Amino acid sequence: MTVIETPIHVSVVADRCAGCQECVIRCPQGALSMDLATWTVVADDDACVGCRQCVRTCPFSAITVEGPLMVSERLDPPLHHSLRLVGSVEETRVGFADLAAAQAEASRCLACPDPTCVRGCPAHNDIPGFVGAIREGDFLLAHEVLRRTSILPDVCSRVCNQSAQCEGACTWSLAGGVPVAIGRLERFVTDQVPVPAPALSERRERSVGIIGAGPAAAGAAWDLLEGGYGVTVYEKDATPGGLPVWGMPDFTLPDDVARRAWRQLEEAGVSLVLNTAVEAEKLEELLEVHDAVVVAVGAGVPMRLGVPGADAQGVIDATSFLKSAKAALEPGGDSDALLERLGVRQGERVLVLGAGNTAMDVARMARRLNLAATCVDWLDERFALARPDELAEARHEGVDVRFSRTLSAIHARDGRAAHAELARTEQSRASRAPSVLLEDHEFLEVSLVVMAMGYRNDPTFTAVLPGTPMRKSAPAIAEERWRASGILANTASEYANHAAVGSVALARESGLWAASLAARERVWVVGDALTGPATVVEAMAQGRRAAAAILDAQPRRPGRINDESSSARVLVCYESEGGKTRAAAETIAGECFASGLDVAISPIDQVGARELAAADVLVIGTWVEGFVVAGVRPARAMRAWLAGLPNLAGRRVALFCTYGVNPRGALDEMARVVSAKGGVVIDRQAFAARNLAPGALEGPDGFAVRVASHLAKEMVVRVAGRS
Amino acid sequence: MVLQAEVEGVDSPRPVHLIDPIAVAIRTRRPQRPGSHFEATDPSPGHDVAAHPRVARLLHNRKLQFLLILPNQIIFWLVIGIGLLGTVVPGLNFATAITWYVWFCLVFVMMVVVGRAWCAMCPFGGFGEWVQRHTFWKRTTKSIGLGLKVPEKVGQYGFLLSVGAFLLLTWIEEFFNIAGPGNPASTSFMVLGIVGSALLFFLLFERRSFCRYVCPLTSIIGTVGSMGSVAGFRTRDREVCLSCETKSCMRGDADGYGCPWYTWPGSADSNLTCGLCSECYKACPSDNIGLYVQTPLTSVIAPSRRRADVAWAVALLWGLVVYQQVNALTFFGRIDSWLNAHTNFPQYPNPLDYIGVIALVSVAMAGASRLIQLAVRRRDALVPAGGTSFVDRTSAFRQYFVPLMYGVIPVVGADYFARQLPKFFQHATRVVPAVGHLFGAGSTSSALYNTSIIGSNSGIIAVQVSVVALGTLAAMYASWRIAGRDLAGISTTPRRAQVSAATFALVCGVAAMALYVLMNAAD
Repeated sequence: MTVIETPIHVSVVADRCAGCQECVIRCPQGALSMDLATWTVVADDDACVGCRQCVRTCPFSAITVEGPLMVSERLDPPLHHSLRLVGSVEETRVGFADLAAAQAEASRCLACPDPTCVRGCPAHNDIPGFVGAIREGDFLLAHEVLRRTSILPDVCSRVCNQSAQCEGACTWSLAGGVPVAIGRLERFVTDQVPVPAPALSERRERSVGIIGAGPAAAGAAWDLLEGGYGVTVYEKDATPGGLPVWGMPDFTLPDDVARRAWRQLEEAGVSLVLNTAVEAEKLEELLEVHDAVVVAVGAGVPMRLGVPGADAQGVIDATSFLKSAKAALEPGGDSDALLERLGVRQGERVLVLGAGNTAMDVARMARRLNLAATCVDWLDERFALARPDELAEARHEGVDVRFSRTLSAIHARDGRAAHAELARTEQSRASRAPSVLLEDHEFLEVSLVVMAMGYRNDPTFTAVLPGTPMRKSAPAIAEERWRASGILANTASEYANHAAVGSVALARESGLWAASLAARERVWVVGDALTGPATVVEAMAQGRRAAAAILDAQPRRPGRINDESSSARVLVCYESEGGKTRAAAETIAGECFASGLDVAISPIDQVGARELAAADVLVIGTWVEGFVVAGVRPARAMRAWLAGLPNLAGRRVALFCTYGVNPRGALDEMARVVSAKGGVVIDRQAFAARNLAPGALEGPDGFAVRVASHLAKEMVVRVAGRS
Repeated sequence: MVLQAEVEGVDSPRPVHLIDPIAVAIRTRRPQRPGSHFEATDPSPGHDVAAHPRVARLLHNRKLQFLLILPNQIIFWLVIGIGLLGTVVPGLNFATAITWYVWFCLVFVMMVVVGRAWCAMCPFGGFGEWVQRHTFWKRTTKSIGLGLKVPEKVGQYGFLLSVGAFLLLTWIEEFFNIAGPGNPASTSFMVLGIVGSALLFFLLFERRSFCRYVCPLTSIIGTVGSMGSVAGFRTRDREVCLSCETKSCMRGDADGYGCPWYTWPGSADSNLTCGLCSECYKACPSDNIGLYVQTPLTSVIAPSRRRADVAWAVALLWGLVVYQQVNALTFFGRIDSWLNAHTNFPQYPNPLDYIGVIALVSVAMAGASRLIQLAVRRRDALVPAGGTSFVDRTSAFRQYFVPLMYGVIPVVGADYFARQLPKFFQHATRVVPAVGHLFGAGSTSSALYNTSIIGSNSGIIAVQVSVVALGTLAAMYASWRIAGRDLAGISTTPRRAQVSAATFALVCGVAAMALYVLMNAAD
């Protein structure tokens, strides 16, 4: 450890310290404790290492820490650059050489009691848990910890942009320092001991069809298989694996690692139906043979820049380039044939549009095909989308990456792209789109143009799956546990390219939450198909969320003989202030239960994704706000909650409200929102405060009986339909 | 001024992923338990006003504080306008009549009975907060302004900045004869000055930093208000607060802001810094906060954490009110004129004697407590280790000084209250012709303009002395109780400590009463 002479000093503003102990319970070093006489926090400067988590978590900003970060230098294994780049597919980034090196790096982890890195990780891996296991040298334990949240640790540790996720959210990073090499440590675990295969449990009759075979599908298939479901995967390509297999170069993700999960899944009994593209309109057919369908088709439609000359020969998209280049660089591949097919000669220039991770892959592949490569991106370099290390590696390999430029025209010669006209751009803030400066142009001689600006969703699927692609967003008032952890306090870690790691991570939660809710009856959508282009780890995590929801909700296709409890599941959710609405909700829940329904009851702020996903019927009730008859509406909290609901996918909803004088249009307003969210309102009633007693005329029990009989009728109709 | 963002959080989707998905990795330490620290100050569950459903509903209503502030806001903007544009006759101008004959007196009554009731309805802080939150009552998500934090160097002295502001404001008020009342326009300028500086601080600093640290009235409302019968918002079950994962009462959530006053209901041991804004009550996800009433003087007697800033605030504030009594004496007028002549200062009050009297009284208070310490301390008593901050540092001197100053709070409160009474008794009825004058009805010849509730000097003095006598009795009781707990262990005998402390309170009270009699003689 580097010896640092400057002392650390922690000051607590005693006047403002309320003794809430938010810092005390989170201090990794135990350097903070309570002074029982004054009930304020006292700090032990000698024990403090300067991570400043206390500063970030104090609700009243009563703590300041002065002094350096007491952490040793990060130990990254050196990069591996092949002596001869052309034709090489050797991995650039290598793992730790031995346990001692990994343990030295692992010892930089403070094992924060409320780890921000875990929130930064889209899968919420228990990072301090597995890093602790590495320190102990216990790789099986490390795998056990990782398995709780991830089935692709070997892939994620290689392809994740850790600087914007776990490492960007590492407490050292948030304090302005260099984070623990979490990705490398995760990889070290998988380098030492292979990822264990799925643990199979007793098979049940149920079956799930999964469209697509990418990381999201792998996540869903793995957990469904472990949950005893039969899983059939429909994949349009000849090999499963999706983008990591066909789109990620071997020097980033070796083929063997990319295919590992699917190999294990196939061995464990997943039925693979390859070379079979399921069109959006065939969804109904799949629903007839499976109890549930998971749509994990990704977002594979390449975006193209509509500039003059873009239809010339020699302008292709990243997908076709990556697929063919990967094949050409494999042992037995013929790179000369590929160049000939593409119409370029060795040494000529490829212009890659974009400077994200895909663009980097294209350019680095091009270098390996002995082509010159130039990437242009209209973003400012400060706000680059590519991993910082990937960008550095690409430049090291001779890729010419130019930011603040955009393609304004392609000039063709003999119908083939020959010159690219580039315009300069300006971007002042990450959140603001760059503006194009028209007067400043430059020309570049090119032989091939590859558009690698990103992908979008297949419109045929988005048309039949309402609410997709969704827009991930952090709530206006962040959930307090996120704020309490301190991850949102430092919005721009230098290590993470000044990205607001915390709020991006919080926004990702909305994707995970949406993944666990059916987009239509018995249909779940996950991965890029749900959120638009995102990351491998996010897709995998969403797949697992959907699997958990399916295991929980146990959907059944029509015609299946009921093998388990057949009663409809009712979730009564209410917003109550003085207790009247709660009382009404309890009466309704009691009556539904008495009618033989499976009932759960919960105030709206405690309704989680799981509960919603599992419910066949929602009974939603609220008090109404307003003054006598003026401004009468559903309670504000209820309105906000309804607005935050995902697509209800045809779920039946019964609405009620309690009122003093007149409910006015409160129920209509709720019904409008519920219908807009895809819910089917089966009943609604407003209860006057005087009619809430059990047994009252026009009271909640009658309403509950109506709801129950509606469901009973529906059941009869369904059974009749089956016979 | 930086506009951070203007996002209304009202109908914005509520976060539905409330269930923390990553509990598996949270290994936070167990919070320490306070033991008996809050035993004496925790209110009885039966005293929770919010247990009543109607009160609960009212407190949950976001418009509550707005509706409390609104009438005062209207009145004080009227004061500003009418003071500038209305008649120059102070007794007939609505601005001066309402402010100096009624308002100041009412604020003191509220303080003594409730505590920070005024803070809940204050139009100055209210205005700043409306601008800062860019809403009247809604829960917005971003604030206007720089959102700075009060620096540690200032924050560590607690209420002393506010005491300084109060001394400055009072000096200005005396210099321009604002509260006399003099020219009504001066009152308008003073109110504008307070509104303006409040707004400035609200735009510079986060939350109610102005109210907590800078407002000239916050130290006096805090200290005198601790006699009050409202304990403020407190936890119902501390265990729930200690294990609470969100601390929404401090950080805020969709229903309420985080405490604007930097007070945690889970550790509040007095009503000193509870602004009664009810935000914590609204925000609490566990419905674990109540609004408690308490026996009068509880927040003076019971807290086990005694703050040095409060003690010095009491000494300085008493110095100020004594100055306001002494300055009515004939000999003081001569001293002031003599000083003005020798320092080329234009008029009363000369800053030197102003500061001199206040300093003298404060030092005398400190000196008296030192004498008591020398007289009753146990020689073998050790000074317990205290905090490192000004507020919490311990010393042999502070061991006596701080509790003794808490004990005389009722005298100081009564003295301030008594000081406001003459204007109220003699002229409060003038508010009616002053309002009438706006509509062309009232004049200086109106019957109510020339009526007094109590007209005679001797009558007023009798009331003043009675008020101070009541305060003195309360102070003696408080000092007796405080000494019995805080000084008993470090004094030769508990009884000696109690008798000395109560005598000290009695001497302070008698001095105040004597000054009221002397003021009458001077008149």
